[in-house]
Amino acid sequence: MINRRRLLQAAIAAPAIIGAPARSAGTIQMISHRYPALEYYAEKMRTAIPGVAVNTQLMPIDKAIELATIALSAKADTPDIVYASDTTFQTFVKNGWFRPLDDLWARYADEFALADFPQAALDTYRYDGHLYVMPHTLNTMMFFYRKDLLDQAGKSPPVTIAGYRDLAKSLNSPLRSGSINCLKPVDAAVNETHWYLNALGDGWFDADWHPTFNTPKSVAAIEMLKDVTGSAQQGFTTAANDECAIAYQQDTGVMGLQWATRAKAMDDPAKSRIIGKIDWTAPPQGHARISGDGYAISAFSKQDPAVLFRIIATSASQASMKGAASLLIPPRKSVLDDPSLREANRFYPAALASYETGTPAPKLPEFNAIGEFVTRRILQAVTGESTVKVALDAAAAETETFLKGHGYYKG
Amino acid sequence: MLFPLGYAFWLSLFDYDLGSGSHAFIAFGNYTDLLSDSRFWASLNRTVGIVLAAVGLEFCLGLAIAYGLYRLTFAVRVLNLLMFLPNIVTPVVAALFLRWIFMGRWGLIAGTLISLGIFPPDFLGDPAWARVAVVLADSWQFTPFMILVLYAGLNTVDQSQIEAAQIDGAGPLTLLFRIMLPAIRPLIVFVLAIRLMDAFRFFDTIYVLTAGGPGTATETITLYTYALAFRLLQVGKASALGVLTLLFVAVLVAVMIRVVYRREKGAF
Repeated sequence: MINRRRLLQAAIAAPAIIGAPARSAGTIQMISHRYPALEYYAEKMRTAIPGVAVNTQLMPIDKAIELATIALSAKADTPDIVYASDTTFQTFVKNGWFRPLDDLWARYADEFALADFPQAALDTYRYDGHLYVMPHTLNTMMFFYRKDLLDQAGKSPPVTIAGYRDLAKSLNSPLRSGSINCLKPVDAAVNETHWYLNALGDGWFDADWHPTFNTPKSVAAIEMLKDVTGSAQQGFTTAANDECAIAYQQDTGVMGLQWATRAKAMDDPAKSRIIGKIDWTAPPQGHARISGDGYAISAFSKQDPAVLFRIIATSASQASMKGAASLLIPPRKSVLDDPSLREANRFYPAALASYETGTPAPKLPEFNAIGEFVTRRILQAVTGESTVKVALDAAAAETETFLKGHGYYKG
Repeated sequence: MLFPLGYAFWLSLFDYDLGSGSHAFIAFGNYTDLLSDSRFWASLNRTVGIVLAAVGLEFCLGLAIAYGLYRLTFAVRVLNLLMFLPNIVTPVVAALFLRWIFMGRWGLIAGTLISLGIFPPDFLGDPAWARVAVVLADSWQFTPFMILVLYAGLNTVDQSQIEAAQIDGAGPLTLLFRIMLPAIRPLIVFVLAIRLMDAFRFFDTIYVLTAGGPGTATETITLYTYALAFRLLQVGKASALGVLTLLFVAVLVAVMIRVVYRREKGAF
C-alpha cells in the first residue's frame, strides 16, 4: 500500500538505486595532447571495451598539461586517463597525481603481450622504481627538408648547424622561408632550444642541477639559434608543432626540425601541397630531443583501475600499433621489427637514425616549469628585446632560485 | 565576494607550491619576493602601458564617435546598435577572430597584403607590433562601451547652456570641450574608472592572441599571475600577486576619484 512513509522511503532510496550503477559505469574521462597518432589512439580508447563510454578531450599540448595540472592539483576525480610525456610524467608522479601501474602490468602482461615493450621505453616512465605510464609512441625530432628545392639548388642536406643556417639563408625568400622554426613557449621552444644547447652548447644542467645553459658555449649555441631564425617563417615565435607542420604542408618553408610523428602528414593529399617532395634525415650534429607519449591513470580516479588499464592497453595493443605505425614510431618490438612496415613508411630510416643520435630531456620533475621562464628569456633574446647573454643569465638565476625553493642544492 | 578575497589573501601568506608540495606559513614573504622580482615590475610597467594606451584610445575614439552620433540627425539608433556588437561578443571568441586577422602569413591582413605584393610585419610575432595588436584588440572590443556611455552623457547636457553658447558663436569643438565635457566630467571619471579596473584584469584576449609573448612582450600582470599559478604551480605567490593587483587598481581609482572630487566638490 502506498502511503506517505513509503513514498518518503522510496524517494530516499531512489538515488542510491539508480545512481550507484550509473556512477560505477559512468563515462571515463581522458585528457590528451592532440596530433594524428594520438587522435588514432583516442579513437581506439573510445571503442576499447564495449559498453564503456570514454570521453576523449584532445587539445594542444600546453592546454592539455594545464588542464591536467589544474584538475589533478585540485585532486579532482574527473580525468581518469591522462596523457603523459617523458617530462610531464615526472612532475605529476612527484606530486602524487598518478597511480603506479606495476600490479596491473603484471596482471595483464600475458593478455596484452606487455613483454613486447622494450625495457628502454619502459625505463623512461619509471620513477623510484615504479612504472606509471604505458608508452604509446617513441618520438624523435628529425630534420625535415624539401628534397626538390635542395636538388634544384644543387645542395645536399646540411651536416652541421652552421651549414643549416647558411643554406637556410641562401634559400630564404619572402614567399618561402629558408627555415621553419617553432618557438612558441613552452614545449615547442624547449624542443628547439634543446637541440642547440646539446649539439653546440653545454646542455641544460650539470650533475648537481646547476644551469649550464648560460655558459659561453651555450650562449654561442643560442646565438646560432637566433641567427637561424633570421631566415624563419613569419610567426615563428608563436608557432608550435601544428603551425610548423602546416608551414611545410603549405609550401611556405624549406627545412627545419620537427617531430617524426608529423612526417606521414607531409604526404597526406588532403592536407599537403608537397606530396613526395619532403625528405628526412637525422638532425645535423645530432642531439635533438627524443621523447615519447603514453597514458597514465589518475591517482584520484574513482573508476575501476583495471577497466582503465584495459582501455589503455587495448589502445596500445599489437594490432592497434600496427594500424598506427604510419603515424609514429611504435614502442613495441614486434611492430618495430616488421620489415613490411619499415618499407611502407619512408620516414622510418631517418626516424631511427635520429633516435639513435638524439638526447632525452633532463630527468628533472621541474623541467617543464623551468622551461617556462627559460624559453621566455630566450625569446626575449631572439626578438631583440635583450642580448642572449643577459637573457640566459637571467634565466639561470631564476632557475637556481626556483630549484632552491624545491629543495635542491642543499649542502 | 569576501570569502574568495579572504581565501586568496590567506593563501598569499603561505609558501604554497604544488610542485614542491610545500605549504609553510611565511607571512608576507611572497609579497617581499614579488616586490624584488624584476619580472613583476616589468609586467606591471607593461600592464600600465597597455592599459593607458588602450583606455586612452578607447576614450578618444569613443568621444569622437559619440559626439558624431549626438550631432547626427538620422539612423542614430541603428548605428548605435551596430557599433555595440563587438562589445557583446565573448572576449575569447573575439580574440580568436582577431587572431585570424592579425596572424602572420595566413591572417586576413597579412594574406591580403601579401596577395598585393606587400609583405607586412609579423603582427603577433614582433614585440612592438604585438603590443600594438593587443591595444587594438582591446579597443575594438571596448570602444563601443565608451560610445554608449558618453553618448548617453552628452544627451544629458542642459540644452539651454548649449543654445546660449551657440548664440555667443561657439563652434562644434568649443561646444564639446568648453560646455559639454565639463558638464559630464563625473560620468567621464566613472567610465574611465570602470574601464581602467576592467583593463587591469585584461587576460583572455592577450592569452588567445599572444599568450604574453613573444618572450614577455605582452605579459601583463594577470598573465604573470596565471604563469605563477598554473605553469610554475606557485599558488601562494600567485595569490599574493592577485592581492597586489587589487590594491594597485584600488589605489589608482581612489586617486582618480579624489582628484576629480577635489576639483569639483559634490561630484561624488
